[in-house]
Amino acid sequence: MKKTVKGRWRLAVALGVVAALGVSGCGLNEDNASSNTSTDGSVLRIGTTTDVSNFNPLQSLSKTDSWILNAMYPHLLRIDENAKKAPELAKEYRYEDDGKTAVFVLRDDFKWTDGKPVVADDVKFSAEMIMKYKLGNVAAKLTWVESIEAPDATTVKFKLSQPYAPFAEGVGFWMSIVPKHVFEPAGDLSKFPNDTNWVGAGPFVLDSMTKGQRYVMKRNESYPLAPGGKAAVSKVEYRVYPDVNTMMLALRNGDIDLMGTPVPVSAAKTFEGDSKIKMAKVGALGFAHLTYNMKNKHLADQEVRQALSMSVDTKSIISAVLQGDAQEMAGPISPIFSDYDNTEVKPYAFDPAGAKAKLTAAGYKDANNDGFFDELAFGVACDQSNANMTRVVQLFRESAAKAGIKLENECVERNTFLARTKSGEYDIDASQWGVFDNPMDQLRSTYLSSNPGGINYNLLKSTEIDKLINEAAGTTDPEAFKTKIKNLDKVVHDQAYLTPLYVENFRFAYNGSKFTGFAPSPSDLLGMVTAYSLAQVTPVK
Amino acid sequence: MSAPVLTEQTVPPVAPAAVRRSWYSYLRQPSAALSVLVLLVMVVMAVFAPLIADEPVGAGADVLQSPSGAHWFGTDDLGQDIFAQVVWGTRTSLVIGLAASVIAIVLGTAIGLASAYFRPIDAVATVITDVMLALPTLPLMIMLAAVVNPSVWTLTMIIGFFAWPEVARLIRSQGLVVSAMPYIDGARVLGATGWRIVTREILPAVVSLVIVSVLLTASRAVISEAGLSFLGLGDPDAWSWGRILLNAQRSGVIAIAWWQTLFPSLAILLLVLSATVAGMRFNDTRDPRRNGG
Repeated sequence: MKKTVKGRWRLAVALGVVAALGVSGCGLNEDNASSNTSTDGSVLRIGTTTDVSNFNPLQSLSKTDSWILNAMYPHLLRIDENAKKAPELAKEYRYEDDGKTAVFVLRDDFKWTDGKPVVADDVKFSAEMIMKYKLGNVAAKLTWVESIEAPDATTVKFKLSQPYAPFAEGVGFWMSIVPKHVFEPAGDLSKFPNDTNWVGAGPFVLDSMTKGQRYVMKRNESYPLAPGGKAAVSKVEYRVYPDVNTMMLALRNGDIDLMGTPVPVSAAKTFEGDSKIKMAKVGALGFAHLTYNMKNKHLADQEVRQALSMSVDTKSIISAVLQGDAQEMAGPISPIFSDYDNTEVKPYAFDPAGAKAKLTAAGYKDANNDGFFDELAFGVACDQSNANMTRVVQLFRESAAKAGIKLENECVERNTFLARTKSGEYDIDASQWGVFDNPMDQLRSTYLSSNPGGINYNLLKSTEIDKLINEAAGTTDPEAFKTKIKNLDKVVHDQAYLTPLYVENFRFAYNGSKFTGFAPSPSDLLGMVTAYSLAQVTPVK
Repeated sequence: MSAPVLTEQTVPPVAPAAVRRSWYSYLRQPSAALSVLVLLVMVVMAVFAPLIADEPVGAGADVLQSPSGAHWFGTDDLGQDIFAQVVWGTRTSLVIGLAASVIAIVLGTAIGLASAYFRPIDAVATVITDVMLALPTLPLMIMLAAVVNPSVWTLTMIIGFFAWPEVARLIRSQGLVVSAMPYIDGARVLGATGWRIVTREILPAVVSLVIVSVLLTASRAVISEAGLSFLGLGDPDAWSWGRILLNAQRSGVIAIAWWQTLFPSLAILLLVLSATVAGMRFNDTRDPRRNGG
């Protein structure tokens, strides 16, 4: 009896030792593996702040989702470094039938990683599924589609109920093309997780992942947009760093080769004097803005909105918060759309005294003499995790006080902010539009009463604006179309539905001693990590 | 650290001379005197913040300057003076620390004394206290703070509400000892009501413990406030030490602007350390049974 107990003890100890050795052995193996990857020049390691939350490319996506999925699933068009549409899967597109049919002509050399070619049927299938299950933001862009035809392997025709000028641009840029032969058997695509056995046709396709740590993508051996017919980098590995400070240190220490998220302007100095780290700068496709809730009795007054616009010191915001690295805006159309930006519209000049006089003239009173108009007190909502916006709100609050308008800083935790934005619980919304690929879609989604894009943050219901937008949308003549957009730019500016703050530049940092050849596109969503850009990257020899 | 030896200590009625003597012997300990001094300096800073430094507003030209004669603690990425932020942050931190600890003390003492003297209450109160102690406080505080509008007032309420169980437990255990003493029986025999016994006989006997708890709870509340503010759940309009840290983290300058994280952290450390030391020394002085025990 005693002996067996002793024996068991020995066995337990022996097992413990074996287990310990095993664990340390694994640890050693892992160390070896990671040191191998870090010395192998053809693995590009990219830092990101969040995990992938959704692997279905047809649904709405967070930033990391779209980075990884856009490298796997091709789009018809892409946005090049000048913010113009460029061919990707589609060689060209044209309108027929007085703008009521949009025709895409596809390349014939794209291949899915299982060897099958990418064909017009895949495009048709993707669009039909999005319409059927109302998936993501692309569903709103397909509103006018009556039917889709794929007469041959490289031609797709979208029949529209009415001409819509930027239809092809919007759908071409936003819609991911998925392999019909993989997605069709999955059934209901609104519930399809697509989280394993990936088949893609981009330059890279997901191979393995460890949640919270890394997403490893292997090269597609056939990607026609890469210089050599396939990407020069053999693997792309996304690593998760929730904190940007840590990510910057990881880049400096050589743990990653590229930061997917932009370097905050305040932190640009971090890489000064580091000869290995290079910076690439791109513009934005969106802009920062203050948007006024028209459901608020006082904010529905044009004079109040104009006075608020006059009490935002955008120039000093740009010089202080963005260190001068941003552009001023006047109306809702960003200067990046140079064809549509109405240059006659000038921003409201910063003039708190003038704003005060304007409000007094409009009949607002300060009966209790506390320096603030009695009725004008608003909350400014913003996302606490956005460093720039919290600074903007801080400065806005101080400058509006000079105009006699009392503002309360309501910068809250991100999810609370998103929930409030969704339910319209704010007076003034201080936030940032991410990506608008064309001004028409932007105006439709931000000002139409029917709110098709879900981002009419003004909660504006104006028949006049609806009429102007719908008229512009049905205009096929390019010159007349431009004039109508420019007019809308002016009307929205006069109404001061929003105060545009700035169009910022984004800086991306990468290890220039190891990789070169990035083809960056504007905005922090596209940046250095578009499928096209990753396919151009070459290791430095 | 040798504990001081006291010549006399009576529980509960304390003679005025003894009070003076114990204060004197308390302050004669260098660690106690030093920490009280630090606390006093902090209080002065908080009260006279507008005289010491201008409220940090607007944006300056000197961005991310390291500490110098002009900016003692350097500047942040907006060009605001960190020293001014730390001084103004003292206000928020102290106000929240003190107010939250007062809430916790009032709740904790009431519940602790009630359960020490009234047996039927004890069963219920102890269970509630145990449940509260078992709750994961930080996640709950984060959830609550995310739901309500963040302001100094709501933060105080949240922190105070989650800090009382420790106090209640401490007061209850001391109260149990006191309520078993003969003079309490005496009071009861003389016909004193329960209310009178609790407020006039037991409360004075545990008051030194209450003072210690105020200090310890306040220091915990300061840490909670800094933590919540650092997570972006603080009052966005009030300067606090946690918010300075958050600004540094959010704008990605932790690696290049050490001064933006060092000084507010030092302030937190100093306040918490001195409150804790002051509390511990006070406890040693007032409670001879703890000495050498």
